[in-house]
Amino acid sequence: MGLMERNSTPHLLEADGIQLTLGGRVLLSDVYLRVTTGQVVGLLGRNGCGKSTLLQAVFGTQRVADASVRVDGRRVVPAYRQPGLLSYLPQVPLLPAHLTATGAARLLGVDVEQALAAFPELLEQRHRPVGELSGGTARLLEVLLLLHTNTAFSLLDEPFTGVMPVHIDALAQVIRDLKQRKGILLTDHRYAEVLALCDVVYLLHDGRLECLPDPLSGLRDRGYLK
Amino acid sequence: MTLFNYLRALALFYRLLLPQTALLSAVVLGATWLGAGLLNTPWPPRLGPGLVLMKLATFPVVAYLGQRLRPEQHWLFRNLHLSPGQLWAPVLVLDTVGFGAFVGLLNQLWA
Repeated sequence: MGLMERNSTPHLLEADGIQLTLGGRVLLSDVYLRVTTGQVVGLLGRNGCGKSTLLQAVFGTQRVADASVRVDGRRVVPAYRQPGLLSYLPQVPLLPAHLTATGAARLLGVDVEQALAAFPELLEQRHRPVGELSGGTARLLEVLLLLHTNTAFSLLDEPFTGVMPVHIDALAQVIRDLKQRKGILLTDHRYAEVLALCDVVYLLHDGRLECLPDPLSGLRDRGYLK
Repeated sequence: MTLFNYLRALALFYRLLLPQTALLSAVVLGATWLGAGLLNTPWPPRLGPGLVLMKLATFPVVAYLGQRLRPEQHWLFRNLHLSPGQLWAPVLVLDTVGFGAFVGLLNQLWA
């Protein structure tokens, strides 16, 4: 039984003690991050600053000594092994090219019609192999399927990449609707969309994670926005 | 995850690896065929510990090729909450048994 099915009380995902050095460069330095169900949390930072590595460290595929990932105070390392806890959208394509949306949804335990309901043209293509879809459409499909998995939290690495502008608003609305029942941690370079969507924004800079009380002015002050 | 879904995920994982495992099985059999020509060892090869070890030794290469050719393929399985061991152990057994059955069949046909 998934974490979400057990009760409807909010859950808290925390990660701390994450320190990582790659090639002599300190990528992550004593990071503390928290996400609760009912929240969309943004993780911003420059290219190569370690955002994806941090998401993978939380998911549990990037091994980090002394990292502590906890849900409701209980240590869960590697977190991906706990059914019903986390789903993770990587930057790279997630689904094998021969798999259809219907097949992928079946594996992930997702109702494909419900997941794609906001995108009728995508729903019509649910029986086509992913490899036959355009890159943006395949990306949208992956985001929607992972968002609809029965997990308490979803970690999304650049969910808007390649997605048509006309679909981004609809996707943002799906994320808003789904945050009622899960916590979402996302990173993307489309700052306008991320800021409009997020309840909490973290900035990763020089290996340190900073929670921005006023994200817009915080990003402007640090030269991330004009 | 239900057993049925696990088997489905396993079938998908095996399907993704099948080109590499088939190619390397052919390489193993090709090496024994070459050995039969050069060293007068029996052909088809007898199914023994040496041949099984040769087959098992190909799996690190299969893993390496999988990682090089489709580095992203493991993300779907991590999203199904499956560890590498839960995927590799059954595939290793299944593929080796399949290889053994094929060698047995070759021996029957050549007998």
